Formats: sequence, structure tokens, C-alpha cells
Amino acid sequence: MSLYLRLKVKDLLTNVELLGWSIGFMEFWVAMWIFVFSGSQAVGEWGVYVVKIDVALAYSFLGLLSISTAAIGLTYSIFHMSRAARYIVKFTKIGPLRLVMEDFLGSLTAILVYAAVIFSSVIGLSYLKWRVLALPENPLGVLIDLILAGVSYYWLSYTLALLVLVSGRTRALTMTSYLPLIIGFLAYSQLWVDLGDLIYVAPLCALPALLTYHGTGAIPPTGSYLAWLTGTTTLRAVNLRLAAISTFAWIAVFIAASLALMRRSRGVPLEEIRL
Amino acid sequence: MIDLVELYVRYSRRHEPVVRGVTARLSGKHLLLGPNGAGKTTLFKAICGLVPISSGRVLIDGQDVKSLYGRPKLLAVNLSEVYRVFHLSAYDHLRLFADVMCGDLDLALNIAEDLGLSLELLRRRKPWELSAGQQKAFSTSLALASGAKHVLLDEPFEQLDPARKVRVVRHVEEYRGVLVLSTHETWVLNALSKWSVHFMIEGRVYGPLKAKELAHASLVRGEAEGAILRFKAAGGVYSLVPGACGEPLSKLVTLDRIYEVTLGG
Repeated sequence: MSLYLRLKVKDLLTNVELLGWSIGFMEFWVAMWIFVFSGSQAVGEWGVYVVKIDVALAYSFLGLLSISTAAIGLTYSIFHMSRAARYIVKFTKIGPLRLVMEDFLGSLTAILVYAAVIFSSVIGLSYLKWRVLALPENPLGVLIDLILAGVSYYWLSYTLALLVLVSGRTRALTMTSYLPLIIGFLAYSQLWVDLGDLIYVAPLCALPALLTYHGTGAIPPTGSYLAWLTGTTTLRAVNLRLAAISTFAWIAVFIAASLALMRRSRGVPLEEIRL
Repeated sequence: MIDLVELYVRYSRRHEPVVRGVTARLSGKHLLLGPNGAGKTTLFKAICGLVPISSGRVLIDGQDVKSLYGRPKLLAVNLSEVYRVFHLSAYDHLRLFADVMCGDLDLALNIAEDLGLSLELLRRRKPWELSAGQQKAFSTSLALASGAKHVLLDEPFEQLDPARKVRVVRHVEEYRGVLVLSTHETWVLNALSKWSVHFMIEGRVYGPLKAKELAHASLVRGEAEGAILRFKAAGGVYSLVPGACGEPLSKLVTLDRIYEVTLGG
């Protein structure tokens, strides 16, 4: 592992602000979900099954929110190192491709650590409350979904930071950096709202379906997850293949946009940034 | 060797160029002398490929800077903004850049220490938490420890106390390679008297001249006979003439005072 990559990971895992929002703040909602919003007992086989689905929904949606919160920090860090990046790729041994790859790997590692903390705390707290070890049905599937979420949000952050740089609208950084969180909340809204076929079109809204499927083994609906959990309504099942295609398509769009914008980006000196 | 060919740099189409038609060849040790706002920093940024070049070319060892990638030891600069990457300590940045620039970490630490940056301070503070003078000393240490063939030092004396200025002079004198040092302070003409000097005023570069020659020159208005250099500033023409028949250049302290002279101050 190169020194650049190690320091990138260290940077993201020791940044108090990033840790506060992505882990500290989300842990509050994990506790709220388990101890306040969820039912108090898991009676019988059906009760245990409901708890497992409830837990899967918790780590799927809260994990995604944690990642989207981290994406705000990523947008800032990509933006702030833009001038240094140009110097680095020209006059150090780190060329453009290596810089992009190491930045991506470092960010992805950090994002997965954040998601792993949320995942573990959901599992741990749910065990504390119900004495049910709600491990995912398909752990590898959940891991892959979390990686996909990390990849998606990383490239979304990259696209947004470059968009601000290339357009020269540095004052828009704060607003722009919050777009990942807004998209995260759009996905989160599916707990109550059935977006229908829109989940295949809206950016990254298909991720909760994939996570829930691999977490529970049950094919989730296209939305209204809480109604699905309580069994009060009949809902249309999600098309998992389309959900996967949608996720990969959005990743491809973000990567293509980043690469196109990267060619035009020259970086902004810190003293010229007016937020 | 750095070749600048008819170089123009402007930050946007609406604005006047900051660098105007600069043609120069930089090899050996050079001073780029000019008042604040002359375009020295922008010229350095253009040489590094950090700002868009409107027209003209920058060639480093014959290669266009636009097409240079992944070339450690070719060029290093002491602009603070290029050494801020992570939300980590100045020490972490020092070891990162010593590594990726294929430089010498021990040398960087020694120069930093010599310029007043202790290891403890570097570990405790992030680069942007250092004072302005410390930031300059930090980036200068990195540039000088890079072992690069070409080094650009932008105002390395700024906000340093006199004792540390002398130490910077010693380090730049010892450096083996092409070194271009920009400053607005005229005392360096005596301290680095063997160096070549390019004069930069209002985006234009004049020279080269010998520092020793300039140290004993005076500034007069108009086109004086026997002038070693004529330049335009504040809408008028000025000449640098040998001897003390005008405002001695070395007594200006800073070239910012050129504008006071043009106003009759």
C-alpha cells in the first residue's frame, strides 16, 4: 500500500467532522430505530422473521444515509485538493491514473468502514433488544451492495466537485456538496413512499432494494417498506435485475461525467474559494 | 532549462492578461524581481501548468508543460497551495511529498528545522494552521529537499525574520540545479550578487541583467541615456542607470516603492 493511499485512509478515518456526521449522528438514528421506532417483542418464528427484516431495513437505509453523509465530506476533500492534484500528477511519481485509483480506493475503504460500523451496531443493538442475531441471509451480497453504494457515492461526489471547479461557481460548493445527502434521503423516503418504476430511474434509489434482498432473502417492494414490514398493504415486488442495471448505469454515468470533467478541470487555489 | 515563449496568461476573457508576452530562458540561478502584483506568482503557476496559458508556451527541458505528467525530480515549487492535500498534520504532508517527489525527508526536516519549524510543531499543526511565514518556510523546505532539476521559489523571504532570511540565502546558494527565486525585496541584489536577474513589472519581463550591476543602479524617470534597462510602469517610461544619479535601487528596500517614485514620492 502506497504512502498516499495510507494517508488518504488515515485522513478520512480521523476527520472528526466526517466521523461525527457519518457515524456519530447516524448511531443516534440507529438507536432510535431499534429502541424507539421498532416493536418491543419478537414472539415466535414470525416475530423473529419480522425482526430480521426490520434489522435488514435498518442497516440498509441507515447505512446508505451514512454513506451519503460521508459523500459530502468527499466532495469537499476532492474540491480542496484540486490545485494540489494538478501539481501531484505532473511533478511527482503519482500520475493521473494512479491518483484517481488511489483516491478512489482510499475513499472506498473509508466508506466501507463507516458502513461496517453502522451495520455492526444495528446487529449488536438489535441483539441487545430482542436477543435475535439478525445476520444477513447473504453476507457476500450485502457486502457487494455496500461496495456498490460506496462506488456510486464516491463517483457522484467526484462529479459534483469537478462540476463546481469546471463551472467556476465555487460559491455553489456548499449547496452542491449536499446533493448526495438529498439523493440519500430520496432513497430513504422509500420507507414510507412507493416510488414505483421511478426507483429504476432516480439516481441510486435502487440500492435499498438490493440491500434488503440480500439482507432478508425476500424480494422487497418498489417502496413503502414499512407498510411491507407490517403487512398492511399489497405492494408490487421490485425487479431486482432492473434495480442492479439501474445502479450500474448510474455508476457508469458518474464515472463518464467525472472523466469528461477531469479533462477540463485545472483546480482552484484555496484563496480564491468564496463559500 | 525553462523556456518561456511569448507567454500570455489571463484568468478570464473579460480581464487583462496578468502575464504579457513573456519570452525568457531560465537556466542557472535567477532572481525574478518585481513589485507585488507584477505577475510573478502567476508566472510561476503557469510554469507549473497550474493556470491556463492563453497563448505561448512553457518548455521545461524542451518539453511542453501541458504534456508533462508523472515527472518527479523535474520541477518543484514552494507554493503553499500545492502542499495541502489531506486533513492531516504538516509532518504527514512533509513525508508524503518527500516520498512522491522522490525527495529527501531528512533534508526537508533539517531545512524546516533551520527555518524555525520544529518536528513537534510539524506534528501538531496542519499546514494551513501554520503562520504565513511558517507556511512559506514549510513549502520552501519541501521544494529544496525535492532534489528537482528546476526549483521555483516564490517570495521565500516573505514574513521571515532577518536571521531566517539569511538561512534561506544559504540554502538557495547551496542548491545544485536551476533555481528561480521571485521577490520584491531589493537587498537580495547584494546577497545574491552573482545571480542573473529578470525584472518583472505589470506582467512584462525585462532582462537578464547581473544582480551586481543592478545593486548599484538607480531608478530615473524617462528614457535616460546609458540605461541598462528601460521599462514601462504606471503609464510612463523609467530607466535603470548605473551609479547614484537617481533613486538607488538597493535603497528602495522593496520594489513596491517604484510606484511611489513614479508618483514623485
